Amino acid sequence: MSILLDADARVLIVGITGKFGTFSVKDLQQSHTRVVAGVAPGRGGQTIEGVPVFSSVAAAMKETHANAALVYVPAVVALDAVLETIEAGCPLIAYPGDGLPVLDAMEMRAAALDHGAHLVGPNSPGLISPGKAKLGFMPSFCYAPGPIGVISRSGSLSYEACFRLSSAGLGQTSVIGIGGDPVRGVNAAEAIGLFHDDPETRAIVYLGEIGGSEEYALAEYAKRPDAKPSAALLVGRTAPAGKKMGHAAAMIGSYAESWVAKVEALDRAGVVIARDLDGLASAGASALARAMKPAV
Amino acid sequence: MHYAFMLITEAQGKALLRAAAVTTPSSHELRSLDEVRGCRVDFPVAVKAQVAAGGRGKAGGIRKANSSSELASAFDAIMAMRFAGEAPSSVLVESWLDIERELYLAVAIDSRVGGFNVLYSPRGGVNIEDGPPPLSYPVGLVRNFRAHAFRALLEPVESDTKVRERVISIARRLLEIAQANECTTVEINPLVVAKGGSLIAADAKIVLDEAAAFRKAATASAIAASRDKAERDIRSCEEANLMLVWLDGEIGLISGGAGMTMAAMDAIDGAGAQPACFLDVSGNPTPAGFGLAFDLLDRAPNVKGILVSMFGGGLHTDRVAKTLVELLAKRTSSKPVTLRLNGTRSDLATTILREAGRQNHATLEAAVLDIVRCVAGARS
Repeated sequence: MSILLDADARVLIVGITGKFGTFSVKDLQQSHTRVVAGVAPGRGGQTIEGVPVFSSVAAAMKETHANAALVYVPAVVALDAVLETIEAGCPLIAYPGDGLPVLDAMEMRAAALDHGAHLVGPNSPGLISPGKAKLGFMPSFCYAPGPIGVISRSGSLSYEACFRLSSAGLGQTSVIGIGGDPVRGVNAAEAIGLFHDDPETRAIVYLGEIGGSEEYALAEYAKRPDAKPSAALLVGRTAPAGKKMGHAAAMIGSYAESWVAKVEALDRAGVVIARDLDGLASAGASALARAMKPAV
Repeated sequence: MHYAFMLITEAQGKALLRAAAVTTPSSHELRSLDEVRGCRVDFPVAVKAQVAAGGRGKAGGIRKANSSSELASAFDAIMAMRFAGEAPSSVLVESWLDIERELYLAVAIDSRVGGFNVLYSPRGGVNIEDGPPPLSYPVGLVRNFRAHAFRALLEPVESDTKVRERVISIARRLLEIAQANECTTVEINPLVVAKGGSLIAADAKIVLDEAAAFRKAATASAIAASRDKAERDIRSCEEANLMLVWLDGEIGLISGGAGMTMAAMDAIDGAGAQPACFLDVSGNPTPAGFGLAFDLLDRAPNVKGILVSMFGGGLHTDRVAKTLVELLAKRTSSKPVTLRLNGTRSDLATTILREAGRQNHATLEAAVLDIVRCVAGARS
């Protein structure tokens, strides 16, 4: 098992004729992911890398029975494209784009919840279940199959962090990028719930940062008696308050958003803390070791 | 595009409040001493610096004036001040309020709510952060605001029924302002209960969502204005699609991606030094982008050494290596440079660097130790 995305994934790419869309077809195919359809309004009937193109998501879904969508369109039209995909009945959608207005992110999230769909993003590399399928643009060589569920707010950090985990023999069930924006589809609490329910996931590794409050969802989870063991790396220990560090949500506006406050809350809840990237693999390994030990 | 803050001034914020029929004190925005002399007001008045930065009151940017001459000297004093480096664009002169009580009311985007949160405290004012956390009503989408739900939360906290009902109706208006103008925060602190019971917005802190600039002309012009005021370095980075934040340390850091750049900052701290900047070149990893990054760091006097750390995901590190070799050959600065290119095609990158007499460090940690040692060695 894995979360949301499995070997039976049939992927549809919205915006397949764009630069990113076309690159993604080949990239997904190389990661053994079935790309069954593309969507580009007015381009129905064409093919891209052997993949049939449709003019609407509904037409593509009807013909190909796609069950996951990767939406590569600019922020200006992203809300319309994501709503079309959700309303066509696609149960899993990744929207990796950044620069999306917060109001549009709120509408996307609400529509996904209304339809029982899962939205990954915005401002995220997407979702990968190593060895099974990929719904995003993360570099495949960083990942390996295994028992750890990874949640990340940052794309770049998740690549290197997973590369280090994989090199240390700590493979992943799934790696989900929840994104660097303040409003997102699947959030930390929901991603944790998905990994909790996945029988193959033995431990959770959380890659967080300063700003916002997502990390407290992990602290709350870790206090549960039935929680799976978890480890966390938070970056931005040296970032000053009041300055945005790249991500829209990576800014310390209050004490609760600071590195110290979050790390203290996680530590108190029993999460294994990696102080920096160098300590991540050993923190992940010790969380996994706890999972392997029978409960006393 | 990245901006540190898209906070608009109090005067701009209050114009949005008035347009939604939220009461504000009668006021004049003044830009020159001539305007101050021509201004007819009933004293006393509050004289308030107009800046897009917080902490203005504690920094002395709000004064009371009892006469025309006090008003003129308060104007001069405030216009000469700087708030987090920012010069006031004007002062706002407002009638002095008879305050019965100060409340706190705000609507703000909250990541765990997935939308707007309404925040209320019956004790507002400058020390709001020192008191208990405000009451929060998670609304999400603006259309999901329900007066009865907010009322049920307010009842145990706010015993004055008149104030309670007025707060509920203002909260709805703040949400509508946030929706119509694409704001991430609309905060009134204090919301003053005046003698007689009316509620008056004595301050306004409004943050615009910069991502909405493509469809909000007012946001686009606020961004343009803030870019004009920004330091030249920050502006040139924004134009080149690099993200720069200056910090106080000595290690110039060029990295890729927000999360990895912060991870590298933390690693520098772990090795006993401090980063001089957050500089993310992933938006433009080209000769032009790296060229600008080196140019800025070579010119900055506090930067004693430079670390380039890139992890290639989609990025081909051999291309970065070629770019760096060409740049470093032309560079005149003698500040030490340490390189670490890992990930996609890093074997090729290592070869390219070796042929140019440069070492490619295998890990971030090794590269950080190297640059920290180089800088410490140069100092002693």
